[in-house]
Amino acid sequence: MPRKTKDSENKEIEVKNIKAKRGSKSTTAKETASTEKLAKTKSKKKSTSVASKTKTATTKKTSSTKKVSASKKGTEKEPKVAKSKKTTTVKKSNVKKKTTAKKTSTKKIDIVEYYDLPYRYNQTIVKVLAQTPTSLFIYWDISDEDRENYKKNYGENFFETTKPVLKIYNETMNYEFEIEINDFANSWYLHVNDSKCNYKIELGRRPINLQNKIPVDYIYISSSNKIESPNDKILINKLEHMVYFRNVKTQTTTSKSIANLSFMRNMGKIYNIYDLYKKIYKDEDIEEINNPSSRFF
Amino acid sequence: MQQKKGYVSFVLHAHLPFIHHPESDDYLEETWLFEAISETYIPLLLNFQKLVEEKVDFRITMSMTPPLLSMLDNKLLQRKYIKYLKRLIELSEKEIKRTAGDEKLNSLSKYYYERYSNDLHIFKDVYNCNIIQGFKHFQDLGVLEIITCGATHGYFPILYVNEKTVKAQIAVGVQTYEKYFGRKPRGIWLPECGYVPEADKYLKEFGIEYIITETHGILYADPTPLYGTFAPIVSPEGVVAFGRDLESSRQVWSSINGYPGDFNYREFYRDIGYEADYDYIKPYIAHNGVRVHTGIKYYRITGKTEFKDYYNIQWAKDSAEKQAGHFLDSRNAQIENLSNYMENPPIILCPYDAELYGHWWYEGPYWLYILFKKIYYDDCNFKLITPSEYIDKYPEMQVCSPCRSSWGANGYSEVWLNPTNDYVHRHLHVAGDRMCELAYLFPNAKGLKKKALNQCARELLLAQSSDWLFIITNGTMVDYAKKRIKDHIGRFTKLYYQIKNDKIDEEFLKDISKKDCIFPDIDYMLYY
Repeated sequence: MPRKTKDSENKEIEVKNIKAKRGSKSTTAKETASTEKLAKTKSKKKSTSVASKTKTATTKKTSSTKKVSASKKGTEKEPKVAKSKKTTTVKKSNVKKKTTAKKTSTKKIDIVEYYDLPYRYNQTIVKVLAQTPTSLFIYWDISDEDRENYKKNYGENFFETTKPVLKIYNETMNYEFEIEINDFANSWYLHVNDSKCNYKIELGRRPINLQNKIPVDYIYISSSNKIESPNDKILINKLEHMVYFRNVKTQTTTSKSIANLSFMRNMGKIYNIYDLYKKIYKDEDIEEINNPSSRFF
Repeated sequence: MQQKKGYVSFVLHAHLPFIHHPESDDYLEETWLFEAISETYIPLLLNFQKLVEEKVDFRITMSMTPPLLSMLDNKLLQRKYIKYLKRLIELSEKEIKRTAGDEKLNSLSKYYYERYSNDLHIFKDVYNCNIIQGFKHFQDLGVLEIITCGATHGYFPILYVNEKTVKAQIAVGVQTYEKYFGRKPRGIWLPECGYVPEADKYLKEFGIEYIITETHGILYADPTPLYGTFAPIVSPEGVVAFGRDLESSRQVWSSINGYPGDFNYREFYRDIGYEADYDYIKPYIAHNGVRVHTGIKYYRITGKTEFKDYYNIQWAKDSAEKQAGHFLDSRNAQIENLSNYMENPPIILCPYDAELYGHWWYEGPYWLYILFKKIYYDDCNFKLITPSEYIDKYPEMQVCSPCRSSWGANGYSEVWLNPTNDYVHRHLHVAGDRMCELAYLFPNAKGLKKKALNQCARELLLAQSSDWLFIITNGTMVDYAKKRIKDHIGRFTKLYYQIKNDKIDEEFLKDISKKDCIFPDIDYMLYY
């Protein structure tokens, strides 16, 4: 967006303002002008700076510190909806004199709604999403039933004597690695080295101390969906000699040799244009190139 | 006249989340729609009309999202907009009296009075309270191509964990489009330009020919597209992708020398809602007494100073004309250069939020009008085109898989997935799974159960709006966005149990169906 300063201090202040605002409770008003403007114009930038600050670490824990314990307290409850039914009932009188009974008037039902998000859904699940080409977001839960089964099989102290781990499978490059997480988290941001690869995550547990009663060194719990992390570079080196063109009207496909058609020379020129842009705009924040959306809010 | 060597394609993405509160007048978020109608949609229509009357041959593409269409078609919101306009007209009348002693201010007050009075006339008398007709008119004339969007602007790279929820977003987007425009859409604006190849098969299934992606959606495609963003590519599944041009975007968006920052342009943030005497302005601001924008703004940007000069309409127009000339010259040069390296004429795709034009950049619609006139009359080596027309002219394109991408900061999913909003995703995923479960358990239901199942689908779709996640990241109006997520997930979950336990509360269903009345014709069997 236009009309903004590039002063990094301003940015800091703005982030603080926003943080302060989050605590405030005005659900309706558009609030003050200036901060709203700044927030509007820089919103996307801010969001990523929050995430990217922690990117250097191999793993990072989410802010969520809600304890996923074996207790049954947190299972999903049906949301409450209070109903206040305002009715005036017919006044019936036994006294014969009062023959005209008041007409029944049923006022419109006012439904007062208030909802909280279910704390958890009590299902054994691992899900993964790609936040960027090299950061994955993973969330998980283990159902109460499964928890009880693990305790039955491995002893009452199963969750105290084992620690949770995530196994990360890179199926494209055929390698895996493991990170230790903890039972205070129910989601995690994970840095991966390779973009444009298929990943699958497995949640499991390992005994804290091998001498204890658990006979195996790894207990599988659940697997995630499969995802492909996005690509983050021009794949010019991957270009083959032949490229394919399709006529979308006739569906005929033709192959063209890029060597024959002096494509490479021209393509070089076109891609030089992008390099040129980068040079021209190198003093400006590159994020803005990817940040055209404005919005009302 | 120069020979035409290339094309420029403007795509304006018009979207607002579904905000409809029959239960209260206190939701200021409803005014987003009213501001957008007055500042963006009506000005665009008026400028299209002028171009048509002046026989200027132009082309423009707009995506109009299903929530926006639903709101524009909503009787209650139409009445509320008229009320909003009447209040503004009343305020500008008062302003004419108040500013009587200051000639410059007074003429601006009169300008606002006339402008808002004209809006009322256009809205009521010309379009019979439904401006969708206006856009449809220009589409039928052939100068405007309208494309669709995901049903509620759900962000595919998060939803596709359950592909049926992406399919439903696409299906309802296409159905809503057909309802309002009487034909099928050829293109779709992927919500937030969020591209995942998994969506391609559903796009094809519902007849979508093309999508718009962020620049690197094309540049990082596999294999590398020979012509960069200057030619569309086609995905292996057969979806054509056009990528955003960097240079032209930059000229409009740059914080340093972007067009909207011109010192002669209207200053957005100086509004009498914040500046006028409190007792005087109180009837025209928020019900709870909080100062808000009224839409009456008297100053120009002036410079990097707090001391603002009065807005001068003629000066602003002069700047818009100068900048339109600059844009034209830049595209001429760009196309001249590019055409040397390409087999087909290059296409420069310029996508923007529609609301940039008029709401944020007050003079934007006028700039477009002048630019389109210049392209038609001036010496120029390119023509305006819509993506559909380009496909029809040059149907042969390179087969590449576009890159997973979005137009949010840094180009991927950080805006819609970060520590401020990541708590939401598991709820969206579970609700999506449960919707499929319900469809599977109760296929082809009838009567009350069918109504409840359809309402479940509406609640799910409304919860999926990318807007709530965006607002939470953004940091303003967060409470409203969080409430909306809670409300829709809450209503969904309650109904889910009622349906499964065969205890549907009819009054409750009636109440939420009235509030969340989007997509009256939806069929939950989409999730089957």
